[in-house]
Parts: sequence; structure tokens; C-alpha cells
Amino acid sequence: MGSARAGRRPAFSGDPRLSRFNPLPRILFFDDFDEGMNGWCELVGNHTGDLGQIRPIAKDFRPPQLSTCTFFDIGTHGSVDGTYSLKLATRPKENHSAVAIKRMTYAARGRVQFEAYVSFKAELARDTAYAYSWDGNVAPSERHFGEFTFSNDICVGETGPRWHGVIRYRNADPEGNLVQRWVYPTSLEPTTKMERLGLVSAHPRQDFFSFRPEDWAEIPSGRQPLCFNETASKVNWHYVRWLLDTATLRSIEFQCNDLVMDLRSIPSLTHEHEYRGIANLLNVYLAVRTHVNVRNFLYLDSALLSVDW
Amino acid sequence: MLRRSFTAVLEKGATFVSDFETEPYEAGWASEARWFVNVLRADPGITVIAVPQVSPDGSAWCDEGTGRMAVEGTGLVSAALANFGAWLRLRVRMEPYTGRVTVLIHLALKE
Repeated sequence: MGSARAGRRPAFSGDPRLSRFNPLPRILFFDDFDEGMNGWCELVGNHTGDLGQIRPIAKDFRPPQLSTCTFFDIGTHGSVDGTYSLKLATRPKENHSAVAIKRMTYAARGRVQFEAYVSFKAELARDTAYAYSWDGNVAPSERHFGEFTFSNDICVGETGPRWHGVIRYRNADPEGNLVQRWVYPTSLEPTTKMERLGLVSAHPRQDFFSFRPEDWAEIPSGRQPLCFNETASKVNWHYVRWLLDTATLRSIEFQCNDLVMDLRSIPSLTHEHEYRGIANLLNVYLAVRTHVNVRNFLYLDSALLSVDW
Repeated sequence: MLRRSFTAVLEKGATFVSDFETEPYEAGWASEARWFVNVLRADPGITVIAVPQVSPDGSAWCDEGTGRMAVEGTGLVSAALANFGAWLRLRVRMEPYTGRVTVLIHLALKE
């Protein structure tokens, strides 16, 4: 643990698709999006059949897509070892988020690890202001990409406690300044129940994962420029690995390429209310959020969830 | 393996007060598509017209040429498409004037 070279010898060296991962002993799912959606779907807020009941922040998270990464200048880019990747796409609307979820339950409490190969792009918006100062290297489009987020939703036993662990990569701020840091929320991810109890006062809600958009703190040593690669149509894939413990309801570490962050000192916020109907919940979700009126995209070539049960 | 299919909800009970296009949706893996346009509420006298569009890149769009749908008042209509390339969306207009409409729009895709 603690090294980007963790698992130095791949556990599945005979399988090219699995050998790029470092799974715990039991693989719960391995999703190659060349094979389809694999159960990833749009997250939607709770309701009883009336779409008008859905809280506005959780009503329009957009259906995920199977993308070929096709662009106007090069045509189809494709994914790591095939054609398709899972794509989350925001609307071209300030503060809009797209969120996809995969729903499981757990058979035992213990370590859980999510791994994926991801990329992120902003839709090309011909920005004449930046074009005048373009140096031929840094893409103006990079400044249009806001942030992407990994989260879980875990409920212990019949009534909780319930825990949302959340890790976010903030690429740029709304003014287009590059931030390029991993951050964590300092307030709870509000639930439908909390909103109906009137406990969420910030309106209109702008950020699904925290009470207020400013409720985020930097993970120590969490600065990491990623590979946007100069042009809006160049797609480079990044390895991410998030290790957490459902016995202690804490994140343990997060890795992106050569950066491994120890998360054990990061506050772990659990919900104080009782939740029913979600016994042994083990959900994973992915999100992308734009700060500006430009579509933001998060791509996953493949994803793997493993456990130590 | 069974033929893969996926249904995307492009508009989920959203209310519009002007003409609009649905968000671009990638469907290159599918060989057949079927749009469903369900007008849940509409101001009196409005007909909703939905026209399938295609695109080479998700940026530039043109009408596909078939599948025009019309809903006078409220109700559900559908249209099928094939050989549509990799991107789909709907161009939605109101006739004879612009008012307030609430719609549910599904796109059913199949390998």
C-alpha cells in the first residue's frame, strides 16, 4: 500500500484486459464497455411515481452513453482495447452534472476497491479569447472542464449507518483557472430524506455531493495535472484505484497513475438519520460537472470492483 | 449472447416554453432505434412536432429525412430509424405557436 507500483506483479498476467488492474482477492464485477453498459445507469432522485417529486438537483443526471469517442477532426478515436467506452455527458449549462450508478449489495463487510481507466474532455467550444493567446501547446478547451467525481453509497445492515465516500478531481474553476487537485467534501451528500426534512438550506442546489459548492477541501499532496493532451479530440486514459473499508466506513487510499494519496486522515462523514429499505447497500457512482456553458464528458474504458471477502 | 439493447430517457418530464433539440446521444453500436415522444401536458391548441436528426460528430446536425412525429395536445407517438450512423437527437418544434409543453422522451436502441 502507498506505492504506485502496488501489486508489482499483476494478479492476472495471462489476461491482458485484467492484468492492467490490481484487484483484491475476489472480483465482484469487471466491466469492459466494449461489451455494453454492464448495469451502469442514470442516477435519479427518489420519487413515488410522480416525476415532479424529484428534487431538481437529482432529476436530470442524463443517460450514460456507449461512446466511440468520435470527433469532427479525426473521426473515431476508440477506447483502450476496443471501440466503446462509457460516457457521461453534461448539458452545456453552468453547474450541470451527469451521474451514473452501479448498484450492488455486500455479502460481508471489509475492504472494497474500485479501479477504472478514465479520461475527461470538454466539448470543443471555439473560444476566440483564448485563441489569440494560444501557444500551440496548452488547449483552451482544458479550461472548460470542471470536475469529475467518484462516490459510493453504503448502508450497514438494516438501518445504517449510511456512508457516502466522495473523491473529486477539480480540473478548473469557473473562471477557467486550472486547479488540478484532488479534493474531498466537508459536508454530507444530502439525501432526498434530508431535503424533505428541510435540512438542506442552500437553494438552488448546485452540487449534488455537498450542501454548498464551497464545501470541499484539498487532499494533502493532492495536486496532480492530468493528461488532457493539447486538443479536445485527443483521449488519453488514466488509471484510478480507490480502496475503502466498509467495516470502518472510511476511505483508505486513492491512486491516480503515479500519485497515491493516503485518505485515512480524511474525515469520514456518516448520516445521522436512520435509513430503511437499503440493507447492505453497496453502490458506486461516477459524475462529471461543468462550471460553464460547455458540455463536459467523463469516459470509462473499463471498471473493476474487488473485495477481500 | 442475446442482442444488447438500451433505453435512454432524453427528457424526463421537462417543461419547455420554446422550440428545442434533445441532447446528442451516441448510438453507433445500435442497428435500430425507436423514438418515443410522450407529451404529458401542453397549452391548448399546440401541436408538438419532433423530427429525428443525425450527425457525423455530435456537433453538426441535419434531418434524417424520415420519422417525423406529431402530437396534437397530449399523447404518445413513436418512430423507428435504421442506418443512422453514430449520433441521434430530436429537433422539437411547436405549431402553430409557441407555448408551454411537458414531455417525456425515450430512445430505445438495439444491436
